[in-house]
Amino acid sequence: MDAGQQISGLLIIGAVVPLLMFVLLAFLGPRLGKPFASFPAIFGILVSFGCAALALQRWWYVLTDDERVEAAASAYSWPWVVLGDIPIRFGVQLDSLTIAMYFMVTLVSSCIFIFSRGYMSGHSDEVDGVSKYHRFFAYLSLFAFSMLGLVISDSLLFLFIFWELVGLCSYLLIGYYFDRKYASNAAIKAFVVNRVGDFGFIIGLGLVALFLKDLSIGGAIAAFQSQSSGETGLFARDTAINLFGWYVRGDIVATLMGVFLFCGCIGKSAQVPLQVWLPDAMAGPTPVSALIHAATMVAAGVYLVARIFPLLTPGAQAVVAMVGGVTLILAALMAIVQTDIKKALAYSTLSQLGYMVFGMGMGAWVGALFHLITHAFFKAMLFLGSGQVIEGCHHEQDMRKMGGLWRKMPVTAFTFLVGVLAISGVGWPGKNTTPFFGLGGYYSKDEILAVAWFQTYGLSAASDGHHAGNFRERATDPLTNAHGYDSVILAGYSAEEGQHQTAHAGLETASGLKSDASLQPWIPKWLVWLAIITAWITPFYMMRVWWLTFMGKPRDEPVYHHAHESPGMYIPLVILAIGTFAASWFLFRGLIVDAAQHVAHISKLVVPLDGHEHLIHAFSGPALNKLVWPAFIVGFIAAFFIYRRGLKLAERIIDLPVVEQFYWILWQKFYFDEAYNKLVLAGTILFSRICGWFDKWVVDFVLVEGCARVVKGLAFFSGQRLDAGGIDQVAENLGRTAFRIGDLFRAVQTGRIRNYVIYTAATLAVVISVMVWW
Amino acid sequence: MSGHLSWLIFTPTIGAVLCLILPGQLSRRIAMLSTIAALLLGVLLFRDYLPGGSPDPTVQRQVFGSSYGSAEALKHVERVTWISGTNFKIEYYLGVDGLSFPLVVLTVLISFLACWASFTIKKAHKGYYVLFLLLETGMLGVFLALDFFLFFVFWEVMLLPMYFLIGVWGGARKEYAAIKFFLFTLAGSVFLLVAIVACFFFSGRALGEPGGTFDIIALSTNPTILKYFNDPATTLAGYRFGSMIFLFLAVGFAIKVPTVPFHTWLPDAHVEAPTPISMILAGVLLKMGAYGFFRIAYPLFPTIVHDWAFWIGLVGVVSIIYGALCAMAQTDFKKLVAYSSISHMGYVMLGLAILSPTGFQGAMFQVLAHGISSPMCFFLVGVIYERAHHREINRLGGLWLTMPTYGSMATLGFFASLGLPALCGFIGEAFVVLGTFRAKESFDWAVPMAILAATGAILTAGYILWMIQRVYLGPAREEYRHYPQATRTELSILAPLGLLCIVMGVLPQQTVFNFMNGTLNQLVGHLNSAHQQILQSMIQPLASAAGM
Repeated sequence: MDAGQQISGLLIIGAVVPLLMFVLLAFLGPRLGKPFASFPAIFGILVSFGCAALALQRWWYVLTDDERVEAAASAYSWPWVVLGDIPIRFGVQLDSLTIAMYFMVTLVSSCIFIFSRGYMSGHSDEVDGVSKYHRFFAYLSLFAFSMLGLVISDSLLFLFIFWELVGLCSYLLIGYYFDRKYASNAAIKAFVVNRVGDFGFIIGLGLVALFLKDLSIGGAIAAFQSQSSGETGLFARDTAINLFGWYVRGDIVATLMGVFLFCGCIGKSAQVPLQVWLPDAMAGPTPVSALIHAATMVAAGVYLVARIFPLLTPGAQAVVAMVGGVTLILAALMAIVQTDIKKALAYSTLSQLGYMVFGMGMGAWVGALFHLITHAFFKAMLFLGSGQVIEGCHHEQDMRKMGGLWRKMPVTAFTFLVGVLAISGVGWPGKNTTPFFGLGGYYSKDEILAVAWFQTYGLSAASDGHHAGNFRERATDPLTNAHGYDSVILAGYSAEEGQHQTAHAGLETASGLKSDASLQPWIPKWLVWLAIITAWITPFYMMRVWWLTFMGKPRDEPVYHHAHESPGMYIPLVILAIGTFAASWFLFRGLIVDAAQHVAHISKLVVPLDGHEHLIHAFSGPALNKLVWPAFIVGFIAAFFIYRRGLKLAERIIDLPVVEQFYWILWQKFYFDEAYNKLVLAGTILFSRICGWFDKWVVDFVLVEGCARVVKGLAFFSGQRLDAGGIDQVAENLGRTAFRIGDLFRAVQTGRIRNYVIYTAATLAVVISVMVWW
Repeated sequence: MSGHLSWLIFTPTIGAVLCLILPGQLSRRIAMLSTIAALLLGVLLFRDYLPGGSPDPTVQRQVFGSSYGSAEALKHVERVTWISGTNFKIEYYLGVDGLSFPLVVLTVLISFLACWASFTIKKAHKGYYVLFLLLETGMLGVFLALDFFLFFVFWEVMLLPMYFLIGVWGGARKEYAAIKFFLFTLAGSVFLLVAIVACFFFSGRALGEPGGTFDIIALSTNPTILKYFNDPATTLAGYRFGSMIFLFLAVGFAIKVPTVPFHTWLPDAHVEAPTPISMILAGVLLKMGAYGFFRIAYPLFPTIVHDWAFWIGLVGVVSIIYGALCAMAQTDFKKLVAYSSISHMGYVMLGLAILSPTGFQGAMFQVLAHGISSPMCFFLVGVIYERAHHREINRLGGLWLTMPTYGSMATLGFFASLGLPALCGFIGEAFVVLGTFRAKESFDWAVPMAILAATGAILTAGYILWMIQRVYLGPAREEYRHYPQATRTELSILAPLGLLCIVMGVLPQQTVFNFMNGTLNQLVGHLNSAHQQILQSMIQPLASAAGM
């Protein structure tokens, strides 16, 4: 058994064990009861984590680069069905990205499963005497299976299948408290809004099947490459494809295909305009919000974009970047006004997802995925912290009633602060661009910004130090200029020479950078400014949440009085806090950069950056550094001054004339929900009512009943009048038959039916014979 | 065993006769025994098709034959002359191939489960089971008959028991529903009969014989007949023969499927029919329409089908969307499921329209998947109706708390119907939709239609989840609190259906495709080559004339 089979086998086992636990819990769960029903689930996810750790160890620390390529080729793969001439296989996509995601998912899930045991045991899971405790853990296990399946699938169709399954788990878990109307509403909303995104995804899949004739990720990418290179490929500029009856240029069809596939991401990662479901999804239990609606499932959209990245044309990437850019700022603005602690975190999740998607669109493949990983850790921790608070305060989620809780729950307050620092991108540059200290977003988010800045302003704003010089030198190097690509830029990794240059952020380009102007002509310049502005808002609203919850004076005595911290639950918090530090510094970045090399070889527009320098400083120069770095200081100080005495000052600010209007728009979530409810939802229901009415009265009553009555009338007429007059034989026969059909409506003497059949059949047989012979 | 298929078809008839003779208390047992016997006989057919999954072409040929309708393709053939006259011969001609085999298995399975589910029938046991068993004979006969006339006889045999089963054992407006069902189906039968007679005479003309043939296989594979049938010069009463007869057949089968606009009998029939009859109706009867297209309407008129593909697809897409919207507007639980059937069967029509292996496989899978999931849904509705004696969606609520096991089963069944991946409803829809995209190479309208069909997924999610919310979610209601849990019998009827939903969704190749793909691919190939040949033969005289 070679390494590829071994590692992919481990990944499959790790995914299947939670499924087995789901089956076990589905059948035996009610008998196990509380708290035993949680044990199989926790056992299952720990096994998965063990598999993940073993796989990681073998993949990353045992195999060499070449062996990895070999191993990836020999991963398990089974035929599933054949779709016309497209064979569909279920196989393991074995590369560093899979390993990184898999390890992250199992680690975060393990923490959250363990946390859930404590959280749910103190929770009212009994409704009307029926305990749903086991269902919670059954769904969590099913989720773990689906999510891991999604991560390892190497076929777009299987990606879609697991994609839907995680959606199902999300539906079931959001609606966990389904005896409450808002929970079941939120669950439906989540599923249906996701289906809208999936609708686009299916169209994308259909176009892939149509034009690329392969639904495996690798095969589709290879086909895409061959179709879009040269002048004669299907996706060349000069090719005309008949789509919807119009002839469309080939490259536009390729862009459309990418955008449709991206629709799946818009739904799952809750990007504008389908962002509405995620805040409502907070109706689920808090560990669910942490696991599904912050750390893993919602990030699956970004993972999808990372996988299909080579299928995106520059135009499609611009769409991705714009959707992300709009999402990140709208969500950040809405986060400022939230008073529910979970809602505030939900909007911050939206905003961070926006960053990832934006980064993908800008070509910051490494940065976006790195942000995905660091975000998973610190956001899971933040949500679990909020779970602690909610649980400790007896289901109080309103921050206006909290305050001063740090005395009662110090560990939670501290870990929460770590999360706030990480999401705000706190860091302190040291000498020579190597940071003295940095956390989470300081590396990942700033990297996205750096790449975006580079894509927008090119080198003109980059530092005048030797890095840019290095960059220029290489940009004009004829050897590396051969590809004719717009901008494959690898910093620190030289694809052609196969060497690592980690000492400096040396920039290498495999193409001619035509000028210092925008490298991605489709992307407007203001987009990067949205991301920069949001970088200033983020520390403010996060510090606001932390301050309102943990600092200041208690604002609600009963809540404060009862508040407590459960010791059994903060261990996962501490693990995640450690994970936040570790993810910022070790392992994951290396894995993602390794994966990026393969993407960079095939895609024109990937901009991975390597090295542990603070990349803004190294790459985009002091201009951007000055624009982003002080954000957290300013944000924290602003939040401190406004909220240090509770909400009084904030309320006074809200009452200011212009601010008030703006506040209302934010409070109404930019009227998205309103618009959807009043237009789309109400419209659909109205339309369905019209269809129902039409079916009942027009199709059924007027047409069917009408025909029947006409026949009956004719039958009466012919039977009573014409028949008496004595007309020829055929007409009489016809009339009699018609009479009897009409008669059926009155007489339900069932015994005579057979005769009617014979009459009718015989008459028609006669008629047809007449027609044929004469 | 010689006469396997005859035994299969007439085992229920024997049961019906026994029911008639023996006292009424035994009826249920006899019916159960004969449905079990039929089930076993149906399952035995698997022996012939088990190697169907082999990638080896010679093994494939042994299983599915060399071409559509070839001698090796048809298994367990029984062929004797039944009625013969001077110029005509009606045969008792049975046979099974990859097209009918899955449907036969579906029929015996659903009949067995429906018979088991008939414990709710309180009155006139004897008559009920006699008719039930006759119905099963009719259904099996339709799927196994290869003589056009025999096919029609079974088609009619199935009609009458159904009429009585709805009309006598049905709900409040049973008479209305039964009459409506009957008249609609009768209208369909009349069209069918006209087509049969016309095909008989015209096949005779094609061959230059005084009489014609009722042999479906000969009609659909004999090149002379095919050419004559599809030739624009062949006219009947001034109209093109092929178009006219195809239209008759299509209407006859479309009523059965049912597609918009011939669908209004279905909601009424379902609402009034007792639960087991609804299961049969949705699980098997609707499939006959689809089978008719596959077996008769398509192979007889390959050229017409090519010309009309757009309209067939359009009917499918309209059914998908219109059915889903109507389902959303319903407040009667059973009516909602009935309209969802119309919506789901729309995918079958779309799959048929695109004339590609993917489309045919998807359509046939959808037929079978719907044959499993919709009886399950109807039985789930029946379980509630047994307890609540009403089906108003808005008056129900909280049933997942009141009856947890049943609630979980219901979630499974309705999610299968919703088309959730890993359950059976997904495969058919995915094949049809993706296949329709792929069919752009043959038809320009394919991409827009595929997109429209895909919107069905959103609407379906909408109405099913909304229904689940109103019926199963929410707080447990006082008036339903005393409801007993799902009984052992109820669960054991639901369990196999639920299991099949999962297994078919996870392993579609091993459970379904292996047993039918051979025949379906041959059928597509046959349609295409016949179409080409007919075109050729029509062009040739012109070409030679031009050459002179």
